[in-house]
Parts: sequence; structure tokens; C-alpha cells
Amino acid sequence: MGLREDRERFHEIGEQRRQDLAEFIQYGDLGGSGPDAVRVPIKLVDLPAFEYDQLDRGGVGQGDVDPGDQVGEPDEAGEGDDDEAGDESADHEYYEMDPEEFAAELDERLGLDLDPKGKKVVAETEGAFNETARRGPRGTLDFAHLYKQGLKRKIAMDFDEAYVTAALRVDGWGVDAVYTWAREQHIPVSRAWIAERARSPSPDDDAGRVVDDAVWASIDAMEAAVDVEPTRTRIRRGGPGRVPLRREDERFRHPKVVEHRERNVVVVNIRDVSGSMRESKRELVERTFTPLDWYLTGKYDNAEFVYIAHDADAWEVDRTDFFGIQSGGGTRISTAYELAENVLDEYPFSEWNRYVFAAGDGENSHDDTEENVIPLMNDIDANLHAYVETQPTDGVQTGTHAGKVRDAFGDTDNVAVTTVTEPDDVMGAIETILSTEDNDTA
Amino acid sequence: MTRPDPAKHAAAQTLDEPAREANALARKLGLDPYDVQYWVVDHDEMNELIAYDGFQTRYPHWRWGMKYEKQRKQTQFLGGKAFEIVNNDDPSNAFLQVSNDLADQKAVITHVEGHADFFNNNQWFGLFADGEGPDAAAMLERHADRVASFLSDPEIGRESVERFIDTVLTIEDNIEYRRAFDRDAEGGDPDALAETLASLGVSEEVRDEVFTETWLDDIAAVDDSVQFPETPEYDLLAFLRDHGQAYDEDAEKAAAFEDWQRELLELLRREAYYFAPQRTTKVMNEGWAAYWESMMMGEEAFAGDDEFLSYADHQARVLNSPGFNPYKLGKELWEYVENRANRRAVLEHLLRVDGVTWRNFHDTVDTADVVDTLAPPAAVAAVAPDELDAVESLPDAYVDWQGLAAAREREIDVQRYPWKLFTYEGLAHRHYSLAKPQYRGFLGRVTRDELESVSRYLFDTARYASVEAALADVSVTAGWDRMYSVRESHNDVTFVDEFLTQEFVDANEYFAYEFSQTRGDFRATSTDAADVKRKLLLRFTNLGKPTIAVYDANHENRGELLLGHEYNGVMLDREQAEATLQRVFELWGRPVVLHTITKRVTDSERKRARRNDREPEPEEVGVALRYDGESVSHAELDWETVEHLAADDLDYDTKPDEWL
Repeated sequence: MGLREDRERFHEIGEQRRQDLAEFIQYGDLGGSGPDAVRVPIKLVDLPAFEYDQLDRGGVGQGDVDPGDQVGEPDEAGEGDDDEAGDESADHEYYEMDPEEFAAELDERLGLDLDPKGKKVVAETEGAFNETARRGPRGTLDFAHLYKQGLKRKIAMDFDEAYVTAALRVDGWGVDAVYTWAREQHIPVSRAWIAERARSPSPDDDAGRVVDDAVWASIDAMEAAVDVEPTRTRIRRGGPGRVPLRREDERFRHPKVVEHRERNVVVVNIRDVSGSMRESKRELVERTFTPLDWYLTGKYDNAEFVYIAHDADAWEVDRTDFFGIQSGGGTRISTAYELAENVLDEYPFSEWNRYVFAAGDGENSHDDTEENVIPLMNDIDANLHAYVETQPTDGVQTGTHAGKVRDAFGDTDNVAVTTVTEPDDVMGAIETILSTEDNDTA
Repeated sequence: MTRPDPAKHAAAQTLDEPAREANALARKLGLDPYDVQYWVVDHDEMNELIAYDGFQTRYPHWRWGMKYEKQRKQTQFLGGKAFEIVNNDDPSNAFLQVSNDLADQKAVITHVEGHADFFNNNQWFGLFADGEGPDAAAMLERHADRVASFLSDPEIGRESVERFIDTVLTIEDNIEYRRAFDRDAEGGDPDALAETLASLGVSEEVRDEVFTETWLDDIAAVDDSVQFPETPEYDLLAFLRDHGQAYDEDAEKAAAFEDWQRELLELLRREAYYFAPQRTTKVMNEGWAAYWESMMMGEEAFAGDDEFLSYADHQARVLNSPGFNPYKLGKELWEYVENRANRRAVLEHLLRVDGVTWRNFHDTVDTADVVDTLAPPAAVAAVAPDELDAVESLPDAYVDWQGLAAAREREIDVQRYPWKLFTYEGLAHRHYSLAKPQYRGFLGRVTRDELESVSRYLFDTARYASVEAALADVSVTAGWDRMYSVRESHNDVTFVDEFLTQEFVDANEYFAYEFSQTRGDFRATSTDAADVKRKLLLRFTNLGKPTIAVYDANHENRGELLLGHEYNGVMLDREQAEATLQRVFELWGRPVVLHTITKRVTDSERKRARRNDREPEPEEVGVALRYDGESVSHAELDWETVEHLAADDLDYDTKPDEWL
């Protein structure tokens, strides 16, 4: 009871009732919002009273200033925890917030889960230097790779020289016999090396094995007496020695190319500005569209807006004019969709998320809805089409456009139709619209 | 409010002890609060309570709806946190939001104890309470019922009631808030006369025939051979209740108020008087609550160690919100009152030491030594559970012997509640302001002027042989004692007038500013205490509104109502004045006239000023605004006609001669 009724009465003031107070209502101007800040307007009814002239009154501030210094328009302290009646000097017409915060608020409030998709490739930036090529500037040479390859090669070519040399001392064996034996043992040794070693035997064996004095009766005896030293042990003992680096192993690193897709959106706002759209309806459109714009601005990296006004013709306008225009003519909604289709050619659906929002009082010229608008809505690819029908309670419902669109698309997941009859419906309308979008179509 | 909700119930349980202990601590510190009933509410209920000014029921009006929406948007979109709301009633009701954390709740509770003390002891609240307590919740509920009954009366209609309320609200600040609310208003002469007529027992037809309106008017006219009202009447609501009439649109003439209208007028007037003290003491009251909150939460560690940071953050946000901040000004002024009183007490003793005079004070007294001597003894400053003997050896007057006995029995947790060991005096020394690090220099900064004035009023009775002997006699409760007496008798106007000194303005960097017509922006005009004070008083005097009074109820002998704006150098907002005048017409039934003084700047003067880069010199001109039910007309008045409205000794303009 009580307060709810008070709120209803408050909403009616200056609208359905109490026109005498209309002049004391201040609404924040919705248009005052920019990309950086959203001003959520509030309605305030400020009853008149005998007051001092604001400019003549002056005041007191706190801070280190000298007489004559400009002090800006000092504002009152926030009444954040105003715990008493009375002082209402801190009225603001707006609450300012960031579009992203606004979108987050709305998501939370409406339980939305709109996850915008990146579409247009706007940049190929350099990621980590993970990719490689065979050519490149010296500075990007992947030396670790080159060395590793060399090392591999070295390991592959390495053999126990002393062991092979020992085979040369087998009684009666010559270069050829050793070479044949070594090959059978898979020792990667060349005949030339064996021949060279046969001419000048190495005096020592690093592993301390006796090689010089021994003459083996047979290769079997040699194999039994001399252990093969594994490559691993040898490298650990003496280091890898000279690693053969080869040009063919050179690899040059270059950055991975990352495709950045911008989450971009183009929003077409269409509004009927014909004579039947009175002030109260106009305001309902503004109250619905503006938060939608803010929401999408907050959700996407880049948002572009197209404003189309129409009566029996359609034309593009600036935002500043969009909500204020009023013309006299009749209504032909399809003109706006034709224009929208043209404009959207510049925003290919493959690269842009598209939203087409139209608003009006539901009136349209005869058969235009069925014959032109609905086919156009089918043709224009978009994440979401919405039609907002504004029907302030004072008027008789005359329009049928909304109903026809609703019938034609039914529960199609990218067409939303909603009706707003008073400011309190706005939130519901926004919820309907934003929760209609099918996240898979984009 | 009392819907069973486990979260609220749990929150209420955990707050039981803090609430009890906060009250005990508050009383130890000398506060004398109304009992406070704490309620735990959810976020939405909090918004509702804020909309209703802290009560659960108000008369039906769209204004509460507006406040609710505003509050809701503020918390929804700005994340603003409503910390507390407490209403002026006995017992007071304070509301705590269930989602606040414990540190916030404790801060709210300590703050609320401060307000409840103020409500109970400040004489301006007493004007309404009339020694019996305000009984506010019951009054407001009665009002709500009455208004609801008007609304549902088919003879009246909702819209007429609402309109009438709005009309009255435009002049709800035009009451004589300085005077005690006269709660037994008889309803004035017209009622009495009507009753007399009724008691004659004649039929209505006869009555109408004989005692016509003209006849009644003639009676009034005879009375009005002398000016009526004899002296200007500042309580517009009372005056219109007694002498006003409605305007009958169909008949195009005045018609007597309906009973419900008169009753509604009085009802709204009563609420205006009830809420007025909260507005006339806002700075004091908020500062008072902030001071004691900070004392309890910070200095008496009512916030646990783990809660202290969260509390400090909360406090910083409240006190550092930008612009003019009544919380901050109030707290700073109270601290200044405390320091001043403590300093004075010290000086009164030191200036009686042989060889010390106001002339040689700075040469003969080492103020740093004095401050060290006055610092609280170790056993008072910090209490350790195993050193209770040290407490026992303190001066008798400092020790709460019961508390100490309980501590020895380990019945109380000395670490958490060290204050339980001390009396008011002990605690006063524990928190002696001049010894606090931030005020250590305060004593030494005393000016020769202050020294001289203190010494002038000294009775030359007891003399001291030494500084030590003098200091031994200094009362450590002087600061708090003074604060308690100031909180009883002052309101914001007298508070600022008395304590906003140059020393205070300099220390806290206050300045006055004005709008420069030549530059088109606001500029600082002065850091002089007198100027800062002027601008603050303008804000606080008469609820910050221009003073308007009824000067003549039979203006020009035509039964028109003449209001006078008592001009103090700041002109009226013309547009609002005209809109308000149109609504006063609804309560007078005949044309209403407002005499005021306005500032006029000729174009040539404006140009000259711009050329010379100075402010234009406005000319003060008398103006009459008249509303006859159709339109507002303006007429210039001779200076003689308005001269009496201009205050000779008051001028709130602080623009210096050489400014820009």
C-alpha cells in the first residue's frame, strides 16, 4: 500500500494528472549522454518556494584559494547517508555512469547474457614470436634451434674413436676389414677416417683404456676386452666439442599474426515522426531507445548509430534532431526500411553486428506492412529487428503494424515486438528486446 | 518491517552486543541519548524509510514516491550505500541495512547514539517535544490516517486534497521555527466566530441572510482601523489557517475554507514544526554524531582491529565528499569548541601563576612542556589486562571501581572494553584533546588577543607559585563539559556565529565566494572569518530561506494580502516567488501582493563594468508583485515604501571593492 501508491501518483504527475505541476518537472535530457558517460535521468518535481536568487546568494567553500580565484560552481555535498528529513539541496537531475557499467547493470537486472561477437577484422597484430621461417633478419635467428640441430647432427655422427682404433689392432685387420666391421656395428665412421687413423694411431684414450700395447687375436677378443663408451658419457666428459652448425638448420623467428576482430555494431534507430506521434509518445521512444543505445555502446568496442526519421518518406537525421522532429505527413514505414537497407550496405553483415530498432504508434498506410515492411525485414540481415509500439494510455489504439509484424514472425528469434504505454513499461520493453536476440545467428 | 527473515534475524542477533555496549560507552562518555530501537531492514525497506524521512507511515503524497525513486536509482546506478537512518522520537528508531558489514553497522550504531543524545538534549528539539517527547511516529501515523480519510471522502476527492497539500507545501518553510510550537492553537477568530454564530441556534437561511459576508467583512474592517496584523506575522501557515480563505473558481470569489482544508493546513504546519529543528541544527547534529562516532569507533576501538580499516574508509567517504559538507564543518567546529575550552581552562590557570601575564606568556611558559604535563597518565592511555594495579593507583575520580572489580574477576574483557574501568573524568583525560598529536600546537598558537581577553575576566583570587601547581588544578573535562552545554542551547546559526573564528577559518581553509557578473563564474571573495560567517549564516538563518512576513491583511483597503520580503542584500528568485505567490492566492482567496527589493543593473553600467573589468554596481529598487488570480503584475515602488524592508545592519554580500 502506501508507498506504492505514492510512486504511482508521482509517475502520473504532469502526465495523466496534475498538469498544474508540469512546469516544475525537470527531466534530465537524455541526449546529454556521450560515449564516455551515460546520464540516467530522473524525474524531479520541484515545488516552488520563496528562495534566494541562486547567483546572488554566493556561498562557502573549502580549499586553499585567494580572493579573486575562480572556484567553479561549487556543488553540495552528496547526501549519501542522509539520515534526516529536510535538506533537499542536493537534487541532481542525473546520475552519471559509464556505458559499460550501465550495460553491466542492465545485464544483472534483466539477467541478460548477450555476448557480442567480434566480426570485422580490424587489425593483424603481432603476437608472440612463435612462428619461424628459413629466411629472415640475422637478429631473429633462432640460435637455440640451430645449435640443437647441430648438436643432434654431432651426436648422430659421433662414435667412439678409440674403439674403432682398437679394431685396427686386431691381428691381420686392415682398413677395409675395420670399415666393414664398423658398418655392421652401425658406427658412423668413414673409411677415410679409418685410413687416416691407421697411418697415425692416436696415442691415448681418454677413457683410460689400454689400446696401444694390445694386439688382439681376433675381433671377438677385442670386443670382449674393450668397452664401448656411449656417446652420452663421452659428451658429458669432454663437452660436445665443435658442434657443426649448418645453414640449412637456420631458422628465423617471426611473430605470430593475431587476427583481431572488433566487436562492432551498427544500430539503426527508426522513428515515426508523423503527426500522430505526440509528445508523450515521442518521449516514450526516447526513453526506450536511449538506454538501448547506451547498452549496446557499453557492450561493443565500436558502436555506430544511424538515425532514420520517417513519415511517408524517410530521411537520415542526427541524433540531436532525432527525438525532437515532428512532421505533418502520413506514415509509410517501409520507406524507412528501404533507406535502412541502403545505409546498411556500408555495414556488411559479415563484418558488423546489426540492430534495427523501429518505433512508432503502430499506424501505417494500407497494406504497407504486409507488402513491403515484412519482406524488407526478412531481407535485411540483422542480429535483431525490433519494433517498439508506443501507446500512451490517453490514446485509442489505432495502429495494427505491431500486430501484423508479430503475426508474421511469431517466435522468430531475431524479431522482437513490444508495446510501451507508460514510462514504467520501458524496462520491460528493453528486456523483451534484448533477450530476444538469438546469440547463434550472428 | 518485521517480516521474519533469517538473514535479518541473524544480523539483528550479532548486533545485540554492539548496540548494548555502544549505549554503555555513550553514557560513560557523558551522552544522554533517548533509548534507541534498532531495526534490521533490507535494501528496499531502507529506501522506503528514507523516502518517509525515517518513519514507517506518512500521509499519502507523491513526494515520497519521488524520494523513493530517487533513492532507488541512486543506489541502483551509483552503488550509493545508505548507511543509516534514525528518527527523532522517544524512543528513537534506527534502521540498519542487513547487507552492511559489521564495521559499518557499528559505525552506524555509534553515530546514532550521538543523534539520539542530540534529539534528547538540544533545546531546539525541545521546542516541539514540549517536555513530553515528540511522540512523532504516533503523530505522523495519525496524520496519515486523517489525510487518507480525506482522500477517500467522495465529497472531497483525491485530487483536491493533493492539490491543497502541494499548495501548502510551497510555504511550509515560512513558519516561525524559532518559537516553541504552539500546539493548542484555537483555530483563530473565524472559527470562534463561526461557533458563536452556530450557538445562536438560528437557521442557516437566517444566518446567511443576516450575517452576510459583507457584514463579517465590515466587522473585520472595523478591527482593521488599526493595522492588522499589528506586527509582521512570520508564521504564514498559522496566519492563513486563521484568516485565509479558499478561492472558489466557479463563483470567482473567496470562500471560507472547508473544515478539511483548515485541518490539513494545521496538520502540515505541525509536521513543518516537527522537522524544523533537524534542519536548523543539521551542522551541529551531524557534527556531533560524527564526533562521537569517531571517538567511539576510532579512539575507543569500538571497531575491532580487523574492522578499523573498513571503518576509516567509510568515515573518509562521508567526511570528504566534495563541496560544502555539513558533516565535516560540524565535526571540525565541535573539535574546535573542545580545543578552545580546554585551552581556556589551561590559560585561566597559567595566567594566575606568579610572574606570568598575558603580555609575557609566550616568554615565560613553555607550552610544549605544559602539553606533556597534561597528557594522560600511562595507565589511562593504555590499559593492559595484567596491569590493573596501575589503574587502581590512579586518582579516585578516574576509576570506575565496579568496573575494575569486574575486570579483576575477569567478568569483563579489558582488552576490548578498556573504557569500562574509567569514569567520565578518566575518559576525558584519556582523550584530552590538547595532548593529541594533531592538536599539540593548539595551545601554543594562542594569540595575544585571546590571552588578554582571558586575563581580563580572571578573578584574581587563587594564585599559583608554579606552572606545575597551576596545571594540577586544570580540569581535564573542560572541553567535553563545554561541548555538552553548547549542544543544549545552540542551533546552527548561533553555533557558527559563536565559534567560527579566524583561527578556525584559517586552520580549515574556508572561503566565501560570489558570482561575478562580469566574469560569468563563481569566484572566491574572502577568507576573512566575518565574510565566511556571513555566507554560512545566510545558509542557516531562517532555514536558508528569505524571510517573508504578512505585513497587512487589508492592503490598499481592498482585503488584499500584503507580504513583505525582508531584504538582507540578497534578492529573491523572481520566478519562484511569482509561482509561490500564485499558490498563496489559493489560500487567501483574494489578490496577494509581495513587496521586495531587487537589484538592477543598467546596461550602460554593465558595459562600463566590463570595460573596466570590475563588478557592476547594482541599484536597489523596490518592486511589488501582485497576483489577482489571473496574472502576475509588476510595479516599481518608491524607496520610502520598501525602506522598512531593507535591513540596515545586515548585508550578506561579500564582494570586496577590489575583487577581480
